Amino acid sequence: MAKTILIVDDSASVRQVVSIALKGAGYEVITGTDGKDALTKLNGQRIHLIISDVNMPNMDGITFVAEAKKLPAYKFTPVIMLTTESQEDKKRQAQAAGAKAWVTKPFQPEQMLGAVAKLVQP
Amino acid sequence: MAETLVAVIALAAGFGAGYVARGRRAGGRTDPGPLPPDRYAESVTEFAGAVAPVWSAQIDSSRTQMETAVGQLTDTFGGIVEHLDSVLTSSSEALHDGQGGTFDRSRQRLGDVVDTLDQALTAKRASLGELHSLLSLNEELRQMSEEVTRIAAQTNLLALNAAIEAQRAGTVGASFGVVALEVRQLADRSQNTSARMVENVDRVAQAITSVLATAEASAEREGTAVAHANGEVQAVLDDLMAMLSRMQDSSQQLEQAAVGIRGEIGESLVSLQFQDRVNQMLEHLRDNIIRFADLAADAATGTAALDARVLLDDLATKYTMADEHRAHTSGTAAKVSESEITFF
Repeated sequence: MAKTILIVDDSASVRQVVSIALKGAGYEVITGTDGKDALTKLNGQRIHLIISDVNMPNMDGITFVAEAKKLPAYKFTPVIMLTTESQEDKKRQAQAAGAKAWVTKPFQPEQMLGAVAKLVQP
Repeated sequence: MAETLVAVIALAAGFGAGYVARGRRAGGRTDPGPLPPDRYAESVTEFAGAVAPVWSAQIDSSRTQMETAVGQLTDTFGGIVEHLDSVLTSSSEALHDGQGGTFDRSRQRLGDVVDTLDQALTAKRASLGELHSLLSLNEELRQMSEEVTRIAAQTNLLALNAAIEAQRAGTVGASFGVVALEVRQLADRSQNTSARMVENVDRVAQAITSVLATAEASAEREGTAVAHANGEVQAVLDDLMAMLSRMQDSSQQLEQAAVGIRGEIGESLVSLQFQDRVNQMLEHLRDNIIRFADLAADAATGTAALDARVLLDDLATKYTMADEHRAHTSGTAAKVSESEITFF
């Protein structure tokens, strides 16, 4: 059965690029346009991994991850932050919120798939 | 866009210098003379208040247009990739079904038909064998009938001799003469019966031979027909297999082309990530232009000097990308950093 990955990014082009890379590798994909929208997608369905941007309107990525981790169903769901940001303090905040990896844009699909394969439970 | 910011700052600095120069020119030409300081500050505020919203609007317009265009491009490319995936999947399924499914099932069904014909021919040949056995039995019957005829003839001869001897014996042999006569009559009847049996056996043999000849001719024709059908079926299957193989080759070439196109589109999509980065850079510049108008207003009221460092420091705090920082400090365009992955 295909693993499901939630992609959260306010940029439609980034959502599309990540979706195509993941679908091409056999993953199923659902998307959210910002943290607030993504929280509504966490309605108890099984999600094997979350890929989230940091800077987004309505709710930023780090707040979203922290909120998601409060939900029992997603407490142990691995999270990759995919962002243009490179500041160390932001990385530390993301780690504290529960993220497992930090990938800077622009990413190469092979890199992303490698990180995803490392974090998705078999 | 960094150039735009530099222009804005240069323009602001120019206003200060202009104020001073205006004062110096006062004694030369018929210059109206320097504006009073409060009027000059007011004009700078008006200027910044007028241009900042327009510049911001233009930046926002550029961001929106770029986001819309790149969004449409990625949607279109995404649609093409999905169609290619769909075509690749259905093509692969059709090929596998054609080779391993439909073709094998057709071959099996045609093989069953030929097997049925073969079985019918085998049964017919078995019947022919039975007819040959029957013919052999009939021959034995004929030989037995002839043997009976010969026995009847010898019996007749013996009975004739007995009758002669009975005659010579006179009255003593009279009764024996009667027996001899009866035996001769029985021998005659046996001879007649066996003769008829031979005739009937011969007729049966003719009938069996005739049926056998017809059946053997028919079996030979059917054997030829079954062998021909077998050959034709094999030839048709070979033709179909060759056609399927050509279709498979063609489809594989199409698949390879589709995979190549998919990969190239994927690479193009990766390049479109620039939109997200440029969008953020423009957003930072827009915010800084608005901040410039505020600083100009503050300077006009005399609460603070119009200091470029304040504006630039404010801009630097908004940067999120390493190349933004590099461009800021070097004053030249910075290359995009390679993607980095950090695992926690």
